[in-house]
Amino acid sequence: MPTDTKRVRGPEVSQSPVLFGCRPAAVLPSHGPRADGRQRDQADVRPVFVRCGLVSQANGSAYMEAGSTKLMCCVYGPRETERKDETDMKCGRLTTDMRLAPFSCPVRGSWIQGTQDKDLSLMLYESLQPAVCLQKYPRSQIEVSVMVLENSGSVLAHAVTCASLALADAGIEMYDLVLGCSLCQDAGSYVVDPTYAEETSCGSGGGLTVAFLPSLNQISGLQSDGEMSEETLTAGVRTCIEGCYKLYPVIQQALIQALRRAAPPPSES
Amino acid sequence: MATVQVSEAEKVYILHGIRDDLRVDGRGCEDYRHMEIETDVVSNTDGSAKVTLGHTAVLVGIKAEIGKPRPMVPNEGYLEFFVDCSANATPEFEGRGGEELGTELSNTLYRVFNNKHSLDLRSLCISPGEHCWVLYVDVLLLQCDGNLYDAMSVAIKAALFNTKIPRVNISSDDEGGKEIELSDDPFDCMRLDVENVPCIVTLCKVGHRHVVDATLQEKACSVASLLISVTHKGAVTCARKVGGGSLDPESVFEMTEAGKRVGKALHAPLMALLRQEESLGMKRHKVGFLG
Amino acid sequence: MAVDMRLPTVKSPPVSVLDRKDLVVPGDVITSDTGFMRGHGTYVDEDKLTASVAGKVQRVDKLICVRPLKTRFNGEVGDVVVGRITEVQQKRWKVETNSRLDSVLLLSSVNLPGGELRRRSAEDELTMREYLHEGDLISAEVQSVFSDGALSLHTRSLKYGKLGQGVLVQLSPSLIKRQKTHFHNLPCGASIILGNNGFVWLYPTPGQQEEEAGGFYTSLEPVSLSDREVISRLRNCLLALAAHKMLLYDTSVLYCYESSLQHQVKDVLKPEVMEEIVMLTQQKLLEQES
Repeated sequence: MPTDTKRVRGPEVSQSPVLFGCRPAAVLPSHGPRADGRQRDQADVRPVFVRCGLVSQANGSAYMEAGSTKLMCCVYGPRETERKDETDMKCGRLTTDMRLAPFSCPVRGSWIQGTQDKDLSLMLYESLQPAVCLQKYPRSQIEVSVMVLENSGSVLAHAVTCASLALADAGIEMYDLVLGCSLCQDAGSYVVDPTYAEETSCGSGGGLTVAFLPSLNQISGLQSDGEMSEETLTAGVRTCIEGCYKLYPVIQQALIQALRRAAPPPSES
Repeated sequence: MATVQVSEAEKVYILHGIRDDLRVDGRGCEDYRHMEIETDVVSNTDGSAKVTLGHTAVLVGIKAEIGKPRPMVPNEGYLEFFVDCSANATPEFEGRGGEELGTELSNTLYRVFNNKHSLDLRSLCISPGEHCWVLYVDVLLLQCDGNLYDAMSVAIKAALFNTKIPRVNISSDDEGGKEIELSDDPFDCMRLDVENVPCIVTLCKVGHRHVVDATLQEKACSVASLLISVTHKGAVTCARKVGGGSLDPESVFEMTEAGKRVGKALHAPLMALLRQEESLGMKRHKVGFLG
Repeated sequence: MAVDMRLPTVKSPPVSVLDRKDLVVPGDVITSDTGFMRGHGTYVDEDKLTASVAGKVQRVDKLICVRPLKTRFNGEVGDVVVGRITEVQQKRWKVETNSRLDSVLLLSSVNLPGGELRRRSAEDELTMREYLHEGDLISAEVQSVFSDGALSLHTRSLKYGKLGQGVLVQLSPSLIKRQKTHFHNLPCGASIILGNNGFVWLYPTPGQQEEEAGGFYTSLEPVSLSDREVISRLRNCLLALAAHKMLLYDTSVLYCYESSLQHQVKDVLKPEVMEEIVMLTQQKLLEQES
């Protein structure tokens, strides 16, 4: 495990007080309405707040809030790439970096990129790559970096949406917007866009995250965890696609508003 | 993964072949290459297996150590995966080149085994909250000729079947602390139940069809693959899309169904072969690395 | 769907390797007689001729050289090679041919489209990539050898040029027999190019002779299923012969193909079927010689 030699950490055996305190009901009820009033077994996603162009230094940026999950994405590029391999001559290079801030989860994380962060970055890369027209940017490099400020569930799905908004804000050519949606399977019923509490108490089922290109009807990213039967997996994918379609108009609106704000006022004459 | 270059005309040939269900080496779209499995090849480990799938060779060694259980689950042991892409496999893996691939493979393994039923972790507990068995699963890629995930998962299943964990006695000593005693008899050991350990099937989408066990040339013609890990009952423990292209939802459903079918059919011959190998006992002619 | 799992078996060693007296390892003294000239693979140490590679000793009159059994391709003028373009440079292409260094294909050594004969202009340089780009396969002949050992290739004949649809099999160069011609149209329905560098190209026999295109036009029409089967079978036979270290030439490949007809195409790669087929081929070859 990588150790952080630059920061003075507490003693090696320090543990989170969460372990000592009385543990809250570990398993949330798997029937009945959800804690925040949304419905089970339906593509009920949390209302989303999106703003583009918040970071003025970056070529493109987006900030997204879904329930309590808050994340921010910055895009730098396209700019000249340092390494000039064979493949760089024909199409551009996309690098993704996704990090969870140490204070984002109930249990403190570490600043060094652990394996979970690397895994999320790889998933983000695979979800975004089909959508970006990389062959229009030979010898160039586009860097996407997502920072999760507060993790309240389904962080990868929202990171995908946020990253594609930031790419659009940066003016990078894309075939379509990429939207992400995730769900949590729990013994017969499922919850879409789970919160952190629902995710950790998933029980015997598993989680599924889908990245989707709505206009082209293509799945660009798929990741599932936990044990489920094949029919459940197929049904889950369909539900996630439905959730993405529900999200689509909101994201489109947000992007158009950002454009309006950034565009010069229409000429008088 | 190691890549080969393919010309445009070769790609078209491979594409049309797969469309007609006749691949370059005569296989159908859902046929595996010739596979050879051998367990107990490394004597310093508690369990080991070597799998050769075509020209891909994977070696897995499992060592069991006594450690402290995780705070949140005090009455379970756990597994730690590490995949090493050796520079022997291809010159691209020299130095830190293979590190990225190795991390990707180990992360996928964590995900595949991240459920209650694959391996009974409670059987790895010695005394709750204090001692448990930690199984360090180390995978070494010896040769790379495509389809690493499948070979790796078969090797891990074979190695887990072969693992012999010594039995321990807990006795309290004079000061009231716990003392651990390993039994002296080398044959007195605990075996793991690997019935529910899943196998990974990689399906590459080439053109409009998908192929199982793709060679490096076929991989160069495909844009996206679906990785699906299936237990012997047909339950899916992990599904992931890899590669830089996108997939149609309909093809995802088709590939999931095919993957489940293929994966389910892998387990029976594998368990039969492992049991046959074990029943040979001392008479088994060990081939190891000389074959 | 078919899965073929089995326990590994030790392959039986080839017969009578122990009484070969012409095999040497590095450091073996070949002769102490100073009357011989030393060739490749040897060095002189205190008047003793010593081998520097592991291989077979070859003696031609006064010249002694050691040819290694497993080596990269050492090209000579006139060899036919099959190679893959790795780089497009100023006035030449770099071709990978399984040798120590990448071979070179100069722009002046290829035929222009339409068969014109003229000096290459700057415009030709710019359109180089349209003819051959990275990843393409070509068949060519060795024109000359540079001082550092790199080969200079040329495709100035209609039978050489860019290769179309087919299958490439990569084998060791020492298994390819030197013959008068390396292009064969096998009677079973496919054609084969046995490159001296170990790369063998299998392709469906072209229907009618194309006009003066000379290798520029690659047909992307789907190949018929029967041709495909023949090519797959030939590929598996080549791998079987190579695994048993048999010399490859058109007759041996053809006999192997005929012996394999009783098995399914994908079964040919199973170890026991490979042994059976190779034995039958060896028998047939012996019969034919006697």
